[in-house]
Amino acid sequence: MLSRILIFIISILITSCISVEICDDDNNSMMVAKFMTMKDEMPADSTVASLSLYGIREGRPDSLLYNQDPTNNFKVPLDPHHDFTRFVLQIGEQTDTLELTHRQELYGISYDCGFGNLFTLDSIGYRTGMIKSAEIKNDMVDAETKEDDVHIWLFL
Amino acid sequence: MIWLMLKLKRMMYISGSFSKAVFVLLFLAVQGKVSAQEVSEQEVSEQDTLRTFGPRIGIDLVPFFYYFTEPKIIGAELSVDFEIYKNLYPVFELGYSSTSVSEETFDYESAGNYARAGIDYNLLKLKDRSEHHIMTVGFRYGISVFKHSSENILIYSDYWGDYISEPHENSLRGHWIELVGGIKVEVVSNLYMGWLLRYKFLLNQNMDPVMIPAHIPGYGNGVDTSTFGFSYSIFYMIPLIKK
Repeated sequence: MLSRILIFIISILITSCISVEICDDDNNSMMVAKFMTMKDEMPADSTVASLSLYGIREGRPDSLLYNQDPTNNFKVPLDPHHDFTRFVLQIGEQTDTLELTHRQELYGISYDCGFGNLFTLDSIGYRTGMIKSAEIKNDMVDAETKEDDVHIWLFL
Repeated sequence: MIWLMLKLKRMMYISGSFSKAVFVLLFLAVQGKVSAQEVSEQEVSEQDTLRTFGPRIGIDLVPFFYYFTEPKIIGAELSVDFEIYKNLYPVFELGYSSTSVSEETFDYESAGNYARAGIDYNLLKLKDRSEHHIMTVGFRYGISVFKHSSENILIYSDYWGDYISEPHENSLRGHWIELVGGIKVEVVSNLYMGWLLRYKFLLNQNMDPVMIPAHIPGYGNGVDTSTFGFSYSIFYMIPLIKK
């Protein structure tokens, strides 16, 4: 009986001490955009045949950030060095420039994983008309984006 | 003893961390009480003798052990208790603690003072009034006034370039309560040694919106809303009153 009680106490102590945490390689805050279209005056998913996406980096050459075909969404990191992030979207032969303005705050993810940035999206801009309208669905973008998170809708 | 065993068996089915803590403390108290009574029964004096009263001042030895752990924690803790009423001991504990950690993507420091106040109740019934061993259960309220900071915060980004954040610093107050149980044994006249097991419940984990403190002086890691603590102390009782 005494040994059972001791095992019980020791198991409580051990389980309260053990914690395992899996961290990402980096702590980028990833924004998820979903392509939409209006069908019968209701928003509906839209899929594009091919998508190439370039980030506009001041002082550094633009480079391919995302390339997928076909797809109905994309997930990209936001720029922590500025209060805006600019992308060039290329869908087939058409291109548009997407500009997101945001604020950012530092936050601790955990002591194992370190810090991340919590972005708050303020506005969405676009230029050429390929993107017809846009809507912020979730303005908080952190470094722990989940599979089903969607932050903005882009209507084509 | 059979009753005790049955009681313990029933308590095995208690669930929840609070109940488990109470169970652990009661078990330790009862175990010790049985052993101490066996000792005291050998030395029972038939006549009451004078009993010494006075403030008992203690120093916790465990913080010195943490100096050699990784991460290193520098600290010291003093306590004082006094039997104001039969078997009731108000307790005050004061301490200082600091630590610093260097991680891959940030450096962390935390340092500050803490105080605890509470009451211990002695469960040990000694027939000889000249004996001062006690076995106690009780509670504490703890408060810590400290500052924690993070520097050299790095967030990796292959595409946009690594981001180095401004340092983060915050002055904070942590609050917690403790359930405690332990023993104090008078090894020579007025000199005691004893241990105390603590089960702590943090009351304000989200005291800093940016980061939970990794080290709350007097409490421990703020990531844990409940945690164990252990003290092993040497005490000296100032013999002010004999009656």
